[in-house]
Amino acid sequence: MALEKETLLNLYRNIVLIRTFEERVGEMYYEDKLPAFDIAAGPIPGEMHLYSGQEAVAAGVCAHLRPDDPVTSTHRPHGHLIAKGVDLNAMMAEIFGKKTGLCQGKGGHMHLFDPATHFGCGGIVGGGIPHAVGAALAIKKRHEDRVAVSFFGEGAANIGAFHESINLAAVWKLPVVFVVEDNLYAISVPKEASTSVRSNAERGAAYGIPAVQVDGQNAVAVYEAAKEAIDRARRGEGPSLIEAICYRFRGHFEGDAEGYLGADEKSTWKEKDPINILGAQLKEQGWLTDAEAEAIQAEMTRRVAAAETFARESPYPAPEEALENLFA
Amino acid sequence: MSRSVGIIANPASGKDIRRLVAHGSVFDNNEKINIIRRVLLGLDALGIEQVLAMPDISGLARQAAEKANVSFPVALLDMPLKNSAVDSTWAAAMMAEAGVGCIVTLGGDGTNRAVAKGCGYVPLVPISTGTNNAFPVMVEGTLAGLAAAVVAQRIPGVREAGIRLARRLDVYRNGELIDFALVDVVAYAERFVASGAIWDPHKIRTVVLAHPRPGTIGASAIGGYLPQAAVNGKAGMWLELGDGGKRVLAPIAPGLITELSVKSYRTLKVGEQGVITIAPSVLALDGEREIPIKPDQRIEVRLSQNGPHVVDVTAALQAAGQKGVFIRANHI
Repeated sequence: MALEKETLLNLYRNIVLIRTFEERVGEMYYEDKLPAFDIAAGPIPGEMHLYSGQEAVAAGVCAHLRPDDPVTSTHRPHGHLIAKGVDLNAMMAEIFGKKTGLCQGKGGHMHLFDPATHFGCGGIVGGGIPHAVGAALAIKKRHEDRVAVSFFGEGAANIGAFHESINLAAVWKLPVVFVVEDNLYAISVPKEASTSVRSNAERGAAYGIPAVQVDGQNAVAVYEAAKEAIDRARRGEGPSLIEAICYRFRGHFEGDAEGYLGADEKSTWKEKDPINILGAQLKEQGWLTDAEAEAIQAEMTRRVAAAETFARESPYPAPEEALENLFA
Repeated sequence: MSRSVGIIANPASGKDIRRLVAHGSVFDNNEKINIIRRVLLGLDALGIEQVLAMPDISGLARQAAEKANVSFPVALLDMPLKNSAVDSTWAAAMMAEAGVGCIVTLGGDGTNRAVAKGCGYVPLVPISTGTNNAFPVMVEGTLAGLAAAVVAQRIPGVREAGIRLARRLDVYRNGELIDFALVDVVAYAERFVASGAIWDPHKIRTVVLAHPRPGTIGASAIGGYLPQAAVNGKAGMWLELGDGGKRVLAPIAPGLITELSVKSYRTLKVGEQGVITIAPSVLALDGEREIPIKPDQRIEVRLSQNGPHVVDVTAALQAAGQKGVFIRANHI
């Protein structure tokens, strides 16, 4: 596999798009919520968990996925869904709770479901892991060449569903790739306070599947490892696990005071901004100029602005629609 | 004589992409803690009075010390952590400065390369914590601890019998020494460091070996399996790979035994050098992609005798045994 110019430029565009989307949502989220924080107020009600800082993981993995490859995600799902190729308008509208949104405004930012890209997520920590294994079982039973991917955090790797899922996936040799995004904290709990092993790649060994650790801030490293894992699953060689070490640039949720961080910790990690790392690599190769990087940024700003306009101008669902398309 | 020993354990080793692209094993950190514990017990049995250890994000040395119940203090170096190879280099330099008599390393080729940049003349006991390594050896931690103790204490005859001076492959860019490898330098036809490892035989172009080694995994095996290879240990090798050459079967990664086409090869004596002409490519040092090279750069590799001092565990223990180190007085 050669790491070609166009491939890596697409990776860069995707990462810039995710960052631009997240930072703009972060701005809009605070509209009308302050000075006394009112979580229900403003155009984006409810909690907000943004993906800034971890973009290289979503982009590097999803670069190898087809629209029909199922992906399950977490309470921090925007990056995964954007990397999977969602319609940005429908996604932004859903975050705004609008009728034109992916779930007609009933899901919000943590419950984004998109049949077009075979994507689902939810706020239950680790909840998506067995879903991905179920999807992989269906793929195998149907003799298809699709691959399921589950993104989750290192905190989710301590719940029962992770262990049950990885075990069954290994026993049945299912086409699923587990991507542990180790951003060092489960909400505010550091990994060493909650986890008996230092690396979740070690847990792959415990279940007899290949597992690797990659630098989650380096998109090319993620891309390369993900290619091997996904190709392997597509060939019918079974599940594997990728542990990507990464970092949240905006804390667990919007409004997180981050009192649990060490001094200089965040500024040290910001030196490993995935946009800067990939940008520098591309410039080193002569594949990206400063002007081209600015043009990419401008394009992504325009795309996010268009999605914002669409979301703001879309209607809310009517109260009488509240029970439509629901099942329980 | 020193009654102090250093321990440098790399928490990141044993998890790279070779678990996906080949059949490497994951080497878990709990086992590294167990190994350090056995090293500490080995050191304790022979009267070492202090251990300096590199701190790390996983707390390997700290946890090992808590479990080992040894009679000496295990002092973690007071150093800032970058969570990269720089930590190992820095720790080695601090240990050398502090006057340790030996440094025990846990990691792979990359870990030892980082340590070699800082350890100066302090001998190393390199314990392999992975399946991909050519420089460190698979050795029981207890034995490594005992050997480190007899080396550190300069038991007469032990250093003469149990320490060898390793070679280095010095890498020069436009005439300036920029880095070195302990085992091999490979020009890999890729532009990015990415996930680090090398495994695609079609991208392996130039291979420079400090030692051709039929007994190891990786690029050094390629040279080791060639007829008339300089296996007598006196020279390194320079190989150019490409279509139409001599086809050689070699284990380039765990479980990955593949044919490579070697167009030409020659011995490389200490002091000799050659020029890498494959550009753009990435130089892999000891199996890890490290340095992207461009067509306008002149890259030379020279075999030197400036590597670290390395302890042969068996030879050191044998020499110590001859000196009666392990004989204890009878109880009355």
